[in-house]
Amino acid sequence: MKNKIKIERAIKDLTQEELANKVKVSRQTINAMEANKYVPSTVLALKIARVFNKPVEEIFILEKGD
Amino acid sequence: MSSNLLLPNKYKRIGWSILIPAIILGIISIITDFESFPVKTKVFALINGAFPEKNQYFTFINTNITITVIGILFIIGALLVGFSKEEKEDEFIAKLRLSSMLWAVIVNYILLLLSFIFVYGDAFLQVMLYNLFTVMIIFIARFNYILYRSSKSVYDEK
Repeated sequence: MKNKIKIERAIKDLTQEELANKVKVSRQTINAMEANKYVPSTVLALKIARVFNKPVEEIFILEKGD
Repeated sequence: MSSNLLLPNKYKRIGWSILIPAIILGIISIITDFESFPVKTKVFALINGAFPEKNQYFTFINTNITITVIGILFIIGALLVGFSKEEKEDEFIAKLRLSSMLWAVIVNYILLLLSFIFVYGDAFLQVMLYNLFTVMIIFIARFNYILYRSSKSVYDEK
């Protein structure tokens, strides 16, 4: 699964820390997701989508093989 | 890992302050064959294995408790460090904790397997002694290393 967290973050002008605080996770978690090393739970994905005011599918995209 | 099994974050610091001295003392006493700071005292023994004599049960014995003390400190310290919450315990960290535990058990048993194959005689007893502690050491090392690495690689932080 790919995600556009980094891009969306840049658009909203948020640091990893700020985004982490908004969705109540550690900065490491945001970092791991952006590096495609961690697939978030549905709850976290929905929370992130809410911060960016977009549907989940626009931020998290399935890849071939998923 | 269910986070209600974990201790509050403040215990982590207490854990480190017990674990680090325990490791240092442990290394010193291994190097000096447990004779550098002998603590002889009378203790209660459920079982006292006095090979080649028969085991004694429920007795008081006089013995060097250096290993006992270091072992207890290590176990308490390692449990506190390994099983206290991070400042922000979340789903990624829970997964990391669990995968580190799995990793530690696998690595530990591979090492033990190799020792079974290649280490014989009295030296094997030493291996068994180290093996009591390696699961927690590998677990703590791996967990903290990955956590450190994932906080470091903030290549794009403005």
